[in-house]
Amino acid sequence: MRATPGAFARCGAIALVAVILQVSGLGSGRVFGAYVDLVPLAVAAVAIYAGAIPGAAMGFTTGLLLDLLVGGTMGASSLVLTAVGYGAGRYREVRDPAHGLMPIPVGAVATFTWVLAYAVVSFMLDVGATVSWLVVREIVATTILGAILALPVFAICRRVLRPVLLVDPLDLRRRRKAPLESGPIGLRGLGA
Amino acid sequence: MFDSKVIRRRRAALAIFVVLSIGMLTVYFGESDGGAFHSVQRGAQAVFAPLETGASRALKPARDLFGWFGDTFDAKGENEDLRAEVEQLRRQLGVAETARHDVRELRALVGLTESQGYPEGTDPVGARVIVRSPTVWYSTLKIDKGSDDGVRRNQPVVAAGGLVGKITDVTGGTAEVTLITDSSSAVSAQVMPNGASGIVHPVVGDPNDLLLDYITKGRRVTEGTTVVTSGFESDGLESIFPRGIAIGRVTKVDPRETEQFQRVHVKPLADIRGIDYVQVLTERGVSTQAGVPLQ
Repeated sequence: MRATPGAFARCGAIALVAVILQVSGLGSGRVFGAYVDLVPLAVAAVAIYAGAIPGAAMGFTTGLLLDLLVGGTMGASSLVLTAVGYGAGRYREVRDPAHGLMPIPVGAVATFTWVLAYAVVSFMLDVGATVSWLVVREIVATTILGAILALPVFAICRRVLRPVLLVDPLDLRRRRKAPLESGPIGLRGLGA
Repeated sequence: MFDSKVIRRRRAALAIFVVLSIGMLTVYFGESDGGAFHSVQRGAQAVFAPLETGASRALKPARDLFGWFGDTFDAKGENEDLRAEVEQLRRQLGVAETARHDVRELRALVGLTESQGYPEGTDPVGARVIVRSPTVWYSTLKIDKGSDDGVRRNQPVVAAGGLVGKITDVTGGTAEVTLITDSSSAVSAQVMPNGASGIVHPVVGDPNDLLLDYITKGRRVTEGTTVVTSGFESDGLESIFPRGIAIGRVTKVDPRETEQFQRVHVKPLADIRGIDYVQVLTERGVSTQAGVPLQ
């Protein structure tokens, strides 16, 4: 991704919209015991399309915004989301995923990592009460819901980021699938 | 695949963000409520409050749609439970009215003044929930009423007739509510009608389960009885919750053979996950009456 003011503005807009939607209503909307969590999906989407450094920066910024607006312990969300963004960005840089369904596993892993790591950080910081086993069920259900929502969230983020991307992983896939010129017996260069 | 300069830059960026996050965590824990980070947080909340209010209203249909799926599955069983509860409450109402009449006469007989507790001594201010804690811990809410409406720190917050939490932070137009399901919460409570006293703690991660601890084994607690705030006052110490706010109903009693106390499970009366409106119990005469009290 080109480090231009436009790129920063687009990433900032994604972070702001994701956090506002999350804390203002979607966070309490429940489907079969799970709640919708857009924040790790937005961070993972930016990381997958832009790389590890923008991913880590997006994670840090989104976490900071989340802690500011919710009134939570400042730094806790930033720490976890920085790791999520960096991890997703490194996955893209190392494996160069180009499959159309790539957002599903990436979204699931990002959501699972975020919910689990935030729980661990909360434990270490200030949870002194009894903890219910329902937390485990909720983490699994939220991860499944994250996987389901990953495709539309990644598609929207890709559309927003596309003008500032140096390389779009899904464009690479399309180029690879372009039909090859071939001769009459299926070998290139033997045409008439 | 990458040259060493790119790798160094990537690692440096990660290190900077991690160090910044840990630094913020450390400073935030170390400073008082009036510290720099807490002040920045309050400022940001005041700035974003109008945006959050608008988003909360716009997203209500989506929230309702999500809730509809679960509610539809639960509705039949819930309907039967509610019918049984109405029957039980009608029986209790008759007994309570008689007891109330007797108490009034006995108070007059011994010259005992009536305490200004809940609900007489409070002035409820209705508020809309604009921000919800986005994690499984369900620890805080933000409401659209603040110090301009008479809301102050440590005032109790109720919804659907049950205790929800207390005010822990206030700006001019918003306030933060720390829920009774937050890990730091502890409420002194009594089981009615037998008066057994204990402390209500949350079970983190399960907003439908609270634990009433420190009830000695000799006290008999039965399922279905109501748990209310005890509102103690002793040696200058006073509970922030007035006496008599309903917290929930006893769902299970765990005698715990090897322990001195029995553990009582309580289901909160308020639906902690699905709260849209709450009432802040401001002290009578303190509120500016800017908020419209809910009935």
